[in-house]
Amino acid sequence: MNLPHYDYLTSDFQEYAFDSIGPNGKIRKVVRFQKLQDNPVIYNLAFGDQDPNSGEVDDSTTSNNADRDIVLATVAHTVNDFCDHYGNHFIYATGSTPARTRLYQMGINKIFDEICTKFDVYGISGDRTYPIEKNVNYEAFLIKRK
Amino acid sequence: MPVVKKADNNISYGGGAIVSSDIKSHANDPFFVKKAEEAKIAVSKLVLPETKKK
Repeated sequence: MNLPHYDYLTSDFQEYAFDSIGPNGKIRKVVRFQKLQDNPVIYNLAFGDQDPNSGEVDDSTTSNNADRDIVLATVAHTVNDFCDHYGNHFIYATGSTPARTRLYQMGINKIFDEICTKFDVYGISGDRTYPIEKNVNYEAFLIKRK
Repeated sequence: MPVVKKADNNISYGGGAIVSSDIKSHANDPFFVKKAEEAKIAVSKLVLPETKKK
C-alpha cells in the first residue's frame, strides 16, 4: 500500500507501536493482534492510545491530531506485516462506538480498491458477514489477506 | 509526510516496521484483555464466509 503512514515499532509482529504527530503533540498508538480461536483461526485487531503516565491503552478518547488517514493507513500496514509473520487468517475489527466503526469504514472506503485487491473484506451486521460494499454501514469487519 | 525518528538500536524491517526490543508488551493490558473477550463473544456467533452453506 503506497499511502503515507508512520513507521512503527514491533518486537514480535503481533503488537505494534507508533507515534501520531499533530497539533496535539505526539500520541503513542498501540496496535495488537490477539488470537480469538482456532479452526478457523481468527485474530482480533485492537488499537488505542497509550497513556504516557500509566502506560495503559485506551480508545475512549479522541486524539484530534489531524492525521486520521495516516493513522488508519499505518494500522493497515501493520495488518500486512502481521499477515507476513502469522499467516493469512481472519482478522476481526470493530470500533469502540458505532461512530468510530463508521470512521474506520470511511478509511476503508478511501482505499477500497487497493484493499480489495489484496484482502477479502467482509462487513458484519448482526451475526452475518457480507462482502463489503461502500455505502452500507456495518457493525464490524472481517478481513483476510488473499 | 510524517517525520519519525528512528532510534539507533532499532532495525528497519521495511514497509514501515522497525524491530525493537525496547517496546513493552501490552498482552495483559486490561484494554486489550477486554477487547479480546468482547471480540470472542461476537465472533462465536458469527456465520463465517467459508462456513456458509451453498
